[in-house]
Amino acid sequence: MSRGRRSSAVDAGGAADSEESDDEGSDDEGGGDGEGSDDGPATTERVTRRGVETGRWDGIRGAALALVGVGVIARRPGLVLLGAVGVGYALYASVGEAPAATLDVTRTVSDATPEPGDEVTVAVRARNAGDAPVADLRLVDGVPPALEVVDGPARIATALRPGSAAAFEYAVRATRGEHEWEAVTAITRNPSGSRERTTAIEPADPARVVCTPELAAGGDLPLRGLTTRYHGRMPTDVGGAGVEFHATREYRRGDPLKRVDWNRRARTGELATVELREERAATVVLLIDARESAYAAPEPAAETAVEASVGAAGQAFRALLDGGDRVGIAALGPVDCWLAPGAGSAHAARGRDTLATDPALAPTPSGDRFYRSLWLRRFRRRLPADAQVLFFTPLVDDAAASIARRIDAHGHLVTALSPDVTAGETPGERLVGFERRERLRELRSAGIRAVEWDGESFPVAVARATNRWSP
Amino acid sequence: MVAVSADGSPADGGANAPTDRPERDARPPTLAVVVALVAAAVASLAGFLAAPLGGALLGAATVGLVAGSFRRSHRLLSWAAGVGTVGLAVAGYRGGGVEALLVGGVALAVAWDAADHGLSVGAQVGREARTRRNVAVHAGTTLLVGALSVGVVYGVYLAAAGSQPVAALALLLFGAVVLASALR
Repeated sequence: MSRGRRSSAVDAGGAADSEESDDEGSDDEGGGDGEGSDDGPATTERVTRRGVETGRWDGIRGAALALVGVGVIARRPGLVLLGAVGVGYALYASVGEAPAATLDVTRTVSDATPEPGDEVTVAVRARNAGDAPVADLRLVDGVPPALEVVDGPARIATALRPGSAAAFEYAVRATRGEHEWEAVTAITRNPSGSRERTTAIEPADPARVVCTPELAAGGDLPLRGLTTRYHGRMPTDVGGAGVEFHATREYRRGDPLKRVDWNRRARTGELATVELREERAATVVLLIDARESAYAAPEPAAETAVEASVGAAGQAFRALLDGGDRVGIAALGPVDCWLAPGAGSAHAARGRDTLATDPALAPTPSGDRFYRSLWLRRFRRRLPADAQVLFFTPLVDDAAASIARRIDAHGHLVTALSPDVTAGETPGERLVGFERRERLRELRSAGIRAVEWDGESFPVAVARATNRWSP
Repeated sequence: MVAVSADGSPADGGANAPTDRPERDARPPTLAVVVALVAAAVASLAGFLAAPLGGALLGAATVGLVAGSFRRSHRLLSWAAGVGTVGLAVAGYRGGGVEALLVGGVALAVAWDAADHGLSVGAQVGREARTRRNVAVHAGTTLLVGALSVGVVYGVYLAAAGSQPVAALALLLFGAVVLASALR
């Protein structure tokens, strides 16, 4: 196949050198790396940054001349010759510019829609499309920050003749979210290594992985007594149809016969009607703390509080939806995320997508600024009046606790669900853990229910906490 | 507790900054260390043949190169190369043979170059990646340049053997230095 290909080079140093790489013909391209999916004109974007002096041969001239000087003074021809060899190396160091990496890079991932935890093999192939050999080439692939490389570094160092190619493979472990690879960084040096140039190469087809976890229902989730007028599973203090006894009242015409208290009729002769506890649906908004401070983990490789929160929110979402409640999703963070409460299978699919791939809940922080009061105003405007809030937060700063109290104060019952991401090694870490427990205590004393879990599964923690709560 | 911040995310694009993903071993590639060690041993041997004191200094330089490779210190490598150069100067001053000096000089250059190159490859790519070709090409080129220099210099020396004083050689060299400066 013969593909027309443009190649652009932007020289940050000012000297704009744009090279036109030849049509690549049908040589070894597309041999077995399955990149024939795009037949249109693909572009390999290259951005060349200014070359730098590495300075590694600095001092060779001085050493050479010193040797010559000693040789002349001491009348030793050997030293003069040695100095001359040193001058040869100095010459070698001063010739040659670091070449711009005119590479065609293709990148293929083995599975574009993996399950969480799957290993995805990434194959990178770089072909020297220029007409000069590259004596010293180091390639670093732009692995998405949230993906962990589990097999082999995503790097290679090699030398490439014109037209030849280097290929390497590595494996990443898929995590929840939508991940797009960044540009490949190519570092080239001239043969002596005295000059170095960095080039960012954007492959024609940037690899992308979308990883959407299945939502597993996580047991029964206790809600608080704020409900809608829809029938559901929350026992209320309203008498009516249901299963649990609530009260008796005197018979009124039209009451169903099966609710008449026949025992009482037999005992006293009066007609009475049994009232049962009405069960209604609740509106719940799952609020996930995704501020930068929530991207905290007990150790570098462990999952962050945001990951733990999203996992737990997924279980809660499924469990509540199965129980007939109306569930929505919101993120407390700089990037806006709002899924209005709803029910039904379409809503379940939307919720699964939101939890998996919404940029607000990305596995790494966005880096934008977060304005708390603006966020709170918008959140309150959107929140239905009868909604209660399940607030997933690691509670590692006072802002989270204060937001929970403010939402509660506005009449929305709040349950705080807090993954414990504190560690206990150093005094500082213990202090953070202590402060977090204090915040939990304050929330509880303010009448806000709080569940914390650490290592154990979320449903177990909820079941344990539920035993303490009054209905 | 570890905060994962936006700019703290492993920016793999960073060229010189050794960005440490946990899986990466930033030590220099084994081949580079082996090449440096062998070349330094050759340099020590040549220095010892020229003059024992010079050989001893070159031996110290070998130790310095190995230590610099393990401690990943460019500065230590530079010091080692400096000590090696002094060793060569001492060996030459003490009347070492021209051939041994030239072999020692090229071997020292290859040893330092391989070690230093290994450090930068280790920092940017790591030990576990495929680096063999890169290191071999680099060390081979340095050896070739050294051999060429020695060939030219030694050829001139033989052609002018005996009849020319040292000052004439130095003047020749001065011309080469001017040429080198002009080429920059």
